[in-house]
Amino acid sequence: MEIKSTDNDSFRLVYDKCYSVLIRICYHVVYNMDIAEDLVQEAFERFYLKNITFPNEDEARYWLIRVVRNLALNHLRRGKRESAMLDKVRNRAAGKAADKDAQRILDEGETIKEVRKAVSELPENLRMVIILKEYGGLDYKSIGKVLGISEGNVKIRVHRARKKLEESLAGDEAYVY
Amino acid sequence: MCIDEALLSSYLDGELEEPYLSQTAEHLAHCAACRARLERLKGISAILAKDELPQEEIDSARERGLEVLERKLLGQEGRKPGFFRRRIEMGLGSMITAAAGLVVVFIGGFVLFGTSPEQTSEIIPSYTVQADSQNVRFVSDQETRGLDGYSLEEILSYLDSKGYNVDISIKGIQPIE
Repeated sequence: MEIKSTDNDSFRLVYDKCYSVLIRICYHVVYNMDIAEDLVQEAFERFYLKNITFPNEDEARYWLIRVVRNLALNHLRRGKRESAMLDKVRNRAAGKAADKDAQRILDEGETIKEVRKAVSELPENLRMVIILKEYGGLDYKSIGKVLGISEGNVKIRVHRARKKLEESLAGDEAYVY
Repeated sequence: MCIDEALLSSYLDGELEEPYLSQTAEHLAHCAACRARLERLKGISAILAKDELPQEEIDSARERGLEVLERKLLGQEGRKPGFFRRRIEMGLGSMITAAAGLVVVFIGGFVLFGTSPEQTSEIIPSYTVQADSQNVRFVSDQETRGLDGYSLEEILSYLDSKGYNVDISIKGIQPIE
């Protein structure tokens, strides 16, 4: 089905179908729920305002994931100082999402911290692939489309990312074979 | 010979095609070492999954996002249209009030500024009719001409002019053979 981004029905359809994937991917790049929400929202705004016609739902989804990925990476690159200040302000403004987020990390203890550290330390090309795979639930073909690389390349990157994660998580108490 | 770990990684993701799929499955059936390697890879995915966003958090974020987008995007779409494109909606009451207002202003103008015959004659050409016996004819006096008022000849010629074919016979008289 053709998707016209300014058509209200198409927009709603894409929004409902893609939101979960987008927020998961975005959250695992920036690790902050409030920021992730803002960035995903910005991606949908761009989607609507760009007035693009996609041949099908999948293409619209790839486009959105690409935009969210870029927004999230840009956010990270903008510098830790700025984002740290922003986080402070956001948390002070009692962001509901951020509160829940913090609570969850507290509940889950060290495991989440270790996982995040391991994922964050991956080189960007491997990190993005593993986030799209493990959190976005995308298959190799979709990952290839989003990142503009071949399926074979995706396969290799997923494997390398897992190897690296295995190394960095090895010896961690929380990681039980 | 044991399976390449990249193949195992693809096998775990369900991305292996035949004949590799059945070959790998067959090998795993009797190779404990490879099974252990596969389990290790599964373990990495499982530990990453501990950092999954809870579904209810995603759902509430989606609702919040939709609200904001509707306000932003539909707000923009529903921006005040130009005057000529704006629909003028008016209730019956206000319409009557407006009409009454116009009448008051119109009459008020005459009342306040008065009218002189000179002024009005310039605008409205005067025309007076004397109503006397010369130019008044009573409708009731007009004689109505019934069918008896016409001769047979007149009737026949009238019917003939309308295209009727009239056949006349006289009662009691036999046509001559």
